[in-house]
Amino acid sequence: MRLYGRVIKKMLYAGTKSEHEGIVLMTPEGEFKLRRRGGNPFRDDVLEALEGREIDGEGIVRDDKFIMDCWDIIK
Amino acid sequence: MGIDKIIITNRVALNKKYGPSVSRIDRAVERLIVADKRRGIETMVAAIDSKEAMTAVNGKAVFDKNDQKAVKAAIDAIYNAYHPDYLLILGAPDIIPHQDLKNPAYDPNGDEDRVVPTDIPYACDAGYSKEPGKFIGPTRVVGRLPDLINVSDASYLVSLLDTAVRHKTRTRDDYQRYFSVSAEVWKGSTSLSLAKLFGSGAAMVTSPPKGPSWTQSQLAPRVHFINCHGAQSDPNFYGQRGNDYPVAHSAKNIVRKIMNGTVVAVECCYGAELYDPGDSDMQPGICSTYLRDGAYGYFGSSTIAYGPSEGNGQADLICQYFLDEVINGASLGEAALRARHRFASAYAHLDPTDLKTMVQFFLLGDPSVHPVNAVAHGLAKTKTYKQIFKAHQNIRGTRMLRREKNIRTGVNLSRTLGTVKKSAEEVPGKIAGLIEAMAKETGISNFNIKTFSIEFPKDGIKGNMRRLDGLRKGRLICMLTGIKKNVPKAAPGRIVALTATLQDGEIIHMRRIHSR
Repeated sequence: MRLYGRVIKKMLYAGTKSEHEGIVLMTPEGEFKLRRRGGNPFRDDVLEALEGREIDGEGIVRDDKFIMDCWDIIK
Repeated sequence: MGIDKIIITNRVALNKKYGPSVSRIDRAVERLIVADKRRGIETMVAAIDSKEAMTAVNGKAVFDKNDQKAVKAAIDAIYNAYHPDYLLILGAPDIIPHQDLKNPAYDPNGDEDRVVPTDIPYACDAGYSKEPGKFIGPTRVVGRLPDLINVSDASYLVSLLDTAVRHKTRTRDDYQRYFSVSAEVWKGSTSLSLAKLFGSGAAMVTSPPKGPSWTQSQLAPRVHFINCHGAQSDPNFYGQRGNDYPVAHSAKNIVRKIMNGTVVAVECCYGAELYDPGDSDMQPGICSTYLRDGAYGYFGSSTIAYGPSEGNGQADLICQYFLDEVINGASLGEAALRARHRFASAYAHLDPTDLKTMVQFFLLGDPSVHPVNAVAHGLAKTKTYKQIFKAHQNIRGTRMLRREKNIRTGVNLSRTLGTVKKSAEEVPGKIAGLIEAMAKETGISNFNIKTFSIEFPKDGIKGNMRRLDGLRKGRLICMLTGIKKNVPKAAPGRIVALTATLQDGEIIHMRRIHSR
């Protein structure tokens, strides 16, 4: 599926074993934690470089995660 | 002859998934039944979708394989008809679903798991419910041999069944060495767990700098204890040093390196999540890879887990207890059951993170497998003893005594242990002031406070427990979570929770949990 939105950084899973600063896609459909298929879910420099950009990504949604295969930078 | 073990599956779901090759699975199940019989265990298969089988146990056949309520009722009916010592769930959640419980620690800004998928309800007498607090008194010995979700190659499940068929019970010495990898930031906690289990944590390795290309010799010990980060639908576990999260352990790097008989306890978030390999370039999870390569049992969680950065708590404890029981000669299923009992018994009530820990960990593996021989007492060496017990370790009589003890413990827990429920009650002004002062002293900023009431079961109020009934009324949990000042983002210990237990408006206990 395709999702369009703005990429931001945010503290995720605060207070748990998985607490970390992660990348999130803010879309009209809601907020999705962003991952690259095969990428590091805790620290991914490729996704971090997208911070502040608006992207149109293709991938799969699992619960509140969007696992991307590819994307286009819109803005 | 009574039935000792029941293999529970959904026939229609298996047929649909595997087509004609389901016969390979059937033959492997037959081999397991024969092997079980040889070691004194009578095993049968029960299909929850079979009208005939379910009518025989006064139950209803399951028509929709994903109907969790119907599946729970069917498994309860089977258990109540036969009272087997072991329940083996055959298949991944696309054959027999996990039960989705509400996450008691759900927080939209923290623990965002809305549900906790788990098998613990199948181990409990309580009927279907989504409330985790209903399942704090497990009494049944349960494990799951999962196939791969949405993968229709029968070879995988056949290999897991054949591992159980050919399993060997080994000596305690074979389980005295361990492989342990810890995120560097949690090395203190992991080392303490290992010292409790083995007397020393000296063989532990940390990530970074080590991993994930472990050699066969490094992975050779038959006990694996892993305390790293984990993520949903991901075939890797991750270490941590500051903002660096390198791969510490990877499914693709352990293939054909695991020793037959390995037993694994994994503290990682999502460490036992059974996901569709299609979500990850057809790479099954670490749990599935361990089992395919000959591990006997794998104990882990389906969701986000908890534990302190130093000292031991939550995930550390339940994983320790599981391994301790296995090393002392328990079957894998009994070890999982007793790990939950020991964890729950340590508390007067379970706070939100304890309750989540209690329900989120489960066993992947044949629950009747005893990886380690219990150390025999002197009497067992006598001829007469051997004559009486015919060299079967797993004889029914002693197993019955163990089950009796476990059922008693589970029933006692379900009748006496309190669990939390979110409350709308305001924190009393004086208490809020004290907790906030404590937060400031600890260096916590940006905090918020939530309250929880504690519910105690009514039917356990007997004898001296009546005295506690009055004391327990008016108990409230206040949980403050916030950020510790001057700790870098993503560093361990940055998020801190202060949990205060109030009795009649006074603080009677306080606890501080650091994030991992």
